[in-house]
Order: sequence, then C-alpha cells, then structure tokens
Amino acid sequence: MTPEVERLERLAERLRAVEPYVPPPGAKIRGWNLVLAAVEQSNRARSRVHPIRRLVLASAAAAVLLVAGAVGVSADSLPDSIFYPLKGVLENTRGALTFGVSDQLAFHLDLARTRMAEAQAMFARHRVDLADQALRALDDQLNDAALVIQAEKQTDPAVGAAMVNRLSQAIATHDAQIKQARDRAAQALQTADKPATSNGNGNGSPAASPNGNGQGNGATNSPHPTPKR
Amino acid sequence: MRPLGKAASDDDRPLIERVRKGDQDAVRALYERYFDRIYNYVYARLGRAEDAEDLAIDTMTRSLTRLDLFQDQGVAFSSWIYRIAHNATIDHYRRHGKVTLVSLEHAPALESADPSELAVEQLSNEDLHAAIRDLTDEQQQVLILRFFQDLTAAQVASILGKSVGAIQALQHRALGSLERALQGRAVN
Repeated sequence: MTPEVERLERLAERLRAVEPYVPPPGAKIRGWNLVLAAVEQSNRARSRVHPIRRLVLASAAAAVLLVAGAVGVSADSLPDSIFYPLKGVLENTRGALTFGVSDQLAFHLDLARTRMAEAQAMFARHRVDLADQALRALDDQLNDAALVIQAEKQTDPAVGAAMVNRLSQAIATHDAQIKQARDRAAQALQTADKPATSNGNGNGSPAASPNGNGQGNGATNSPHPTPKR
Repeated sequence: MRPLGKAASDDDRPLIERVRKGDQDAVRALYERYFDRIYNYVYARLGRAEDAEDLAIDTMTRSLTRLDLFQDQGVAFSSWIYRIAHNATIDHYRRHGKVTLVSLEHAPALESADPSELAVEQLSNEDLHAAIRDLTDEQQQVLILRFFQDLTAAQVASILGKSVGAIQALQHRALGSLERALQGRAVN
C-alpha cells in the first residue's frame, strides 16, 4: 500500500467515525405532522379524482360499445329498422374506398343483391312501400353498374363485354326474384282476404294489389336497365 | 459512529405498496426509516440545522405523496429519495447561494501543511464537514453517502446514476481533494 493510499485510508476511517447529525426530537415530530397532513390531503385528492376518472372511462367505453354495436347491427338492418340510415352511410363509405373498375362493378352488384334481399324481406312483412323503395335503390345500383361498364367498354371492349354478361345475369336473377316475391306477396294478401269474403255479410273487398292501389306493379316487365351491348 | 437506522433495501417494496393503498402505518414506517438519514445528508450538505430540517421534511413530503411517480424498475426507493434530497439541496443553493455557514473559529489549529503530517485523528468533526462542503458537488455526495450514511459503492452508484467503478474513482479523488482542503485550512 503506497503512503498516499494509507493516508487516504486513514482519512476515510476518520470520516466513518464522525458522529452523524441527528435531528432534534421536535423537528422529527413537526416533520411527521406535516408529512402526515400532506399524505392525507394527497389521498383525499386522489380519491376525489378517481371516481371522476372512472366515470369518464366508463362513459368512453360505453360510447365505443354503442357505436360498435350500432355499426354491427346496421350492417344487417332492414329498411324498417332505425339503424337503416347508418347502413347507407357505411355503404357510401365503402363505395368511396372502392377503386378499380372490376371492384366498383362488384360493389354495385353486391349492393343490388342487398337491396333485393331487403325488398324480399319487406314483401314478406307486407311493407310494400319499403319493398318498392328497395327495388328503386336496386335499380340505382344496376344503373351505376351499367355506367361503370360503359366507361370500361371504351377502354377495353373485351373486359367490357365480360362485364355486360355479369350484369345481364344479375338482372335476370333479380327479375326472377322480384317476380317470385311479388307473387308470394299477392298470394299472401289473397289468403288474408279469404275469411273476409266468405264471412257471409256480402261486404268482402276485392284482393288488394301489393302497392295498395289495386293495379299491381307490372312485374312481368323488367324495371331494370338493359345493358348496352 | 451512531447508526442512522436500518439501511435502505428491497424491504421498502412491501411498505411502498401499503402506502399506495393508503396505509398510514406504512407511511410512518418509511418516515422513521428515512427521516434521520435524509436530515443527516442534507445537514452535511448545507451546514445549517434550520435548513436541514426544512429540506428533510420537504424531501419526505415529496417522496411519500408522489409515490405514483416512483416506478420500482431498477432504481430502489432509497436511491429515489436521496435524489429528491439532492435536488432539494441544489434548489436551495440556487435560491440562497452556496455558502458555508459553519464557523471554524473554535476548531483546533492544525500543525502542518505537509499531507504526510496531517493528523487526521486530531481533526474535529466540524473541520471535516466544513472541508467537505468546499469540494465539488459530486465529491461531497460520494463522501457523505459512503462515509456518513454508510452506503455501499453500489448504492451510491445507483443514487448518482454511475457505475461502481466510477464511484470508486470519484471516492479516491474526493478523499485526495478533502486532504488538500484540510491542509489549506491548516495553513490559513
């Protein structure tokens, strides 16, 4: 051990022997009272904040669940549902995010199928007004599909022709489905009227047409646009 | 040397959990464990009992009311509380200026300026404290924590955020500086 290290070691030993400063008892008691008061105040403040924070978190969670639930429910909603307008918003959003001719055609045909399903459901529930509304929306989708095809035919006639075939098949399918739905609805109305005509009071009313005006909708004529070939 | 109480250790963790749950006995236990140490540390740094009392209380209040800021991830509660005390000391210096107020008038005169003849056994506690306060901030910290607080080099390393090797080197330099400061005082 060098002399310097020995000296420093002796100095270190001397430092270890220094009596520590000890706080006077009064200082320690005063300190404890102040610390305790501060801790209690801090705990009170925390307990006041926590319920508010919990409430805010619970509200936020409830709002998220509500929106998610509404979106989920609206995806399968029908025209007579309160969530149906939200379904339209979601479809518009989806349409805005659909790029490419083929995807756009698929999108319009998909929506046309959805409108068809809605119309069938509305016919089944005897909501002819809403069924007609769904069918008009179906027409709109098919018209949009026809416009997409028309644009594509100018750039690529072969692809355009294939698309025309897809649209024609969709129209044929929809026409058949519409006819079927209307027949079913008319049949259901006739069945519902039978007891009234056979009750013997002679006041039986004639079978109502699906749209309520007694003239029918002319289901034999296709309401859909014919794709230009 | 009189002991300052149980050394800081991992034992703090259960107490800290209880304090977080609002257990007043745990607050008391931590206060009892650390108040004297922090008072001693701050007094050694400042040299004034009144300031040491205020800063020790302030350090204990800050540490025990802001436990939500303490994350037990690698840094022990003991290191955290010493850091708070250190910051409080630095704030105090900023507000009041760094002055040494411990009087050396009654200290025994030292006989020689030759380091080899420095009679460390004859040095008073006040001489030593006053000379330490002439050192740099880090040198003061390492000497106070190592020799007055009886902490290990590893504990000091954790408090200062340095390696154990760096603390050992700092300690060696601090002792050398202290020796020179004591010689200077002897000459004056």
